[in-house]
Amino acid sequence: MNYQEGQNHSFLEATARERANLLVDEGSFTELLGPQDRMTSPHLPALGEAVSFDDGVVTGVGRIGTRPVFLISQEGRFIGGAVGEVHGAKMAGIFRLALEAYEAAAKAHPDNLDLYRPAVVISFETGGVRLHEANAGLLAHAEVMDLIQDTKGKLPVISLIGSKVGCFGGMGFVAAATDAIIMSPQGRLGLTGPEVIEQEMGKEEFDASDKSLISRTTGGKHKYIMRDCNILVEDKVADFRRALCELLAQPYEKVCACRRIGSYELVKEQMDLVALAAELNPGDAKDVWRYYGNEHPEQLPELETAEFLRVVHRRPKEVR
Amino acid sequence: MQETQQRQWDTLRQDTARRLAAAEEAVGAGKLVKAKDTVKLLEAVIHPGDKINLEGNNQKQADFLAERLCRVNPEKIHGLHLVQSAIALDSHTKLFEKGIAEKIDFSYSGAQAGKLAQAVQEGKVKLGDIHTYLELFGRYFIDLIPRVALVAAYQADKDGNLYTGSNTEDTPVVVEATKFKQGIVIAQVNEVVDRLPRVDIPGDWVDFVIQSPRPFYLEPLFTRDPALITDAQVLRAMMAIKGIYAEYGVQTVNHGIGFDTAAIELLLPTYGEQLGLKGKICTSFALNPHPTLIPAIESGWVKNIHCFGGELGMEEYVKARPDVFFVGPDGTPRSNRTYAQIAGHYAVDLFIGGTLQIDEDGNSSTATATRIAGFGGAPNMGCDPHGRRHASQAWLKCGAESGTAEAALGGMPRGKRLVVQLQETFREKMAPGFVERLDAWELKEKAGLALPPVMIYGDDLTHIVTEEGIAYLHKCRSLEERRAAIRAVAGYTAVGLKANPKETRELRASGIVKTPQDLGIDPAKANRSLLAAKNVRDLVKWSGGLYQPPGKFKNW
Repeated sequence: MNYQEGQNHSFLEATARERANLLVDEGSFTELLGPQDRMTSPHLPALGEAVSFDDGVVTGVGRIGTRPVFLISQEGRFIGGAVGEVHGAKMAGIFRLALEAYEAAAKAHPDNLDLYRPAVVISFETGGVRLHEANAGLLAHAEVMDLIQDTKGKLPVISLIGSKVGCFGGMGFVAAATDAIIMSPQGRLGLTGPEVIEQEMGKEEFDASDKSLISRTTGGKHKYIMRDCNILVEDKVADFRRALCELLAQPYEKVCACRRIGSYELVKEQMDLVALAAELNPGDAKDVWRYYGNEHPEQLPELETAEFLRVVHRRPKEVR
Repeated sequence: MQETQQRQWDTLRQDTARRLAAAEEAVGAGKLVKAKDTVKLLEAVIHPGDKINLEGNNQKQADFLAERLCRVNPEKIHGLHLVQSAIALDSHTKLFEKGIAEKIDFSYSGAQAGKLAQAVQEGKVKLGDIHTYLELFGRYFIDLIPRVALVAAYQADKDGNLYTGSNTEDTPVVVEATKFKQGIVIAQVNEVVDRLPRVDIPGDWVDFVIQSPRPFYLEPLFTRDPALITDAQVLRAMMAIKGIYAEYGVQTVNHGIGFDTAAIELLLPTYGEQLGLKGKICTSFALNPHPTLIPAIESGWVKNIHCFGGELGMEEYVKARPDVFFVGPDGTPRSNRTYAQIAGHYAVDLFIGGTLQIDEDGNSSTATATRIAGFGGAPNMGCDPHGRRHASQAWLKCGAESGTAEAALGGMPRGKRLVVQLQETFREKMAPGFVERLDAWELKEKAGLALPPVMIYGDDLTHIVTEEGIAYLHKCRSLEERRAAIRAVAGYTAVGLKANPKETRELRASGIVKTPQDLGIDPAKANRSLLAAKNVRDLVKWSGGLYQPPGKFKNW
């Protein structure tokens, strides 16, 4: 696909490989362990399942300006982007490369490191652990979480969520642990997926066939109001790229300020939120939106992104 | 002479009067019956062995009455013979499990198809016949006349007049067949009002009205989310538009349900426009109000649409486009399945749809060995109506191209309906779309059917469109040639692998098979970016906010 043309495409509809190529500067993306290497799942054939030559994730490195950007881009079309052994190992490998690149950059450019500081970007599209190889998948989650901790103070890790499957399961935790989250209204972020909630708790608790309810509970607009998402953009590749570039142009400390967890104050903020939720006992996300000063919460889902951003009241940083 | 004087000519009327008297004793006088008295009413007016029509099809359902019928005492009421369009609800199959009903004549099943097949095999259900809608409606007036009909409407007034509105569907035919043969009509309504927007069913054809505790169930069966349309479907849609619609100048159309036809609808304002086809194809439809048709309507492609039923969420849009849809003097839409089926049978030049399996001779079926899914209305559209006498460009051209007409009719000219199947060579889970033997044969054995349930017979099928190409089957001069044309477009299925490359080349040379390249279509350029709407939200935008998608489809 033509790079310029691709920028105008829907991020939601873009494949993992298209996203990887289009998010960094034109022509700068090099795929590592790509399909030609045929690193496939050792577990799926034993279960009679088809494999994918990239195991459902595109990994590699590209450039944004002067900075190396290490990319992980998950492909929902293969087993819903679920994380198996190889998929997870490829993710971990990218983090290790990024950390090595950081050490090299810190040595070579001690005075203007921000210009050369590497970044890790994860374009999520996953339901979490691949059940066919759940142990390996879970271990991979733990390994990636561990590596995210290793990046702290060194390089930013940025999440992009706007693909069809959304970001659920253990990968929801992983996204929460990154430094900043960019979403589109179509993006969805959560832990337990809607179908699983319905299956476990019943249709009265959560009707998974109600797409609007799913969007109100896990979608980008709600996550933006709740500050689980830092930047909300239109569903367009160019808009995700622009937000990413602008974020990377900020000093590293500014990016770190986007975090939702990782300090005593942030944990207290989250705990206060939990207490507030228990007190309010909202029946629907709309109740929460109203609580934060949105007079006509039922209209928020209908608004175009720009208009939404203009009128919306987000939760204050001070929970109460 | 003697005999004539003794015979009574109104025994049905007398029987009805006795039943109505029993009803008055059970629930009191008057047409309006309380919901809590429904079971008592049903036990008073229904007798064992009655033919009962429980209204419902693939759209609206008299679900409250069906559920209450399950609660009658099986010792009092049993052995009922259901004669109705659909067996679609849990309560329908429950009637057999409880022994309240024992036999069914129907048209469509859907969600209950698996349970029905199982119940038939276990001997719990005596299966009458599986019909198309029109032939079942016909039999309501000949040998399957309902004694009691349980129907659904939006509103009633206290005199029993009914407003069925955009979901009028089967109600007129069911009520007329029942009431004019002295039967009893009971309606569940969403609300009782002082004044109806208009009268769709006159009150003196309705015996009882019950306000249901909840609105009748309505399945948005004809809504397809454009976000789920694949590039392969876009390719087949482009091939159909260029290789069939444009080729024959098809103006009058029925679209089967599915993503393939949704893709065609969404390509009209883009690809169709590029080909300069606006006004030349697809001007009139017998079709449910498909949300995916909104962009074509809004960009001026469509003159008129007559609907089989209503589609949830499309009410306001349809209402606001009275030039296109059929809307009553009160300003609200009405559908009528009988008329739409007649229109679909006689008045359209092309039927196009999808199927599960096509065999080597071109017969196609949606049956699987473990599901009795029925036919619905498709066979009445997916056939060449032999009673048709009016001519049109597309019908004449297709008839003139027929490879077998001369052998059958000599030199007498006759037109032919275009009957098109859009087929993916491999469907979901790699199930082949072309098979050597239809699963319908196995179902015939298992369910003890008289015939394998074939949706569209090979001799009616004129075109197959796959990603490999279009087979113009009606041009074939023999069954052997038709088989070769089917093989040529059947890809890597067991059927397709039998294709002989030399034979396929000859078929291409004679225009019986056309590949995308033959049609001047580059498969690499067939992708979703051509769709006029890429998701449900785009459809809402096209409609200026008039389309209000149900929760199942509103993902924002």
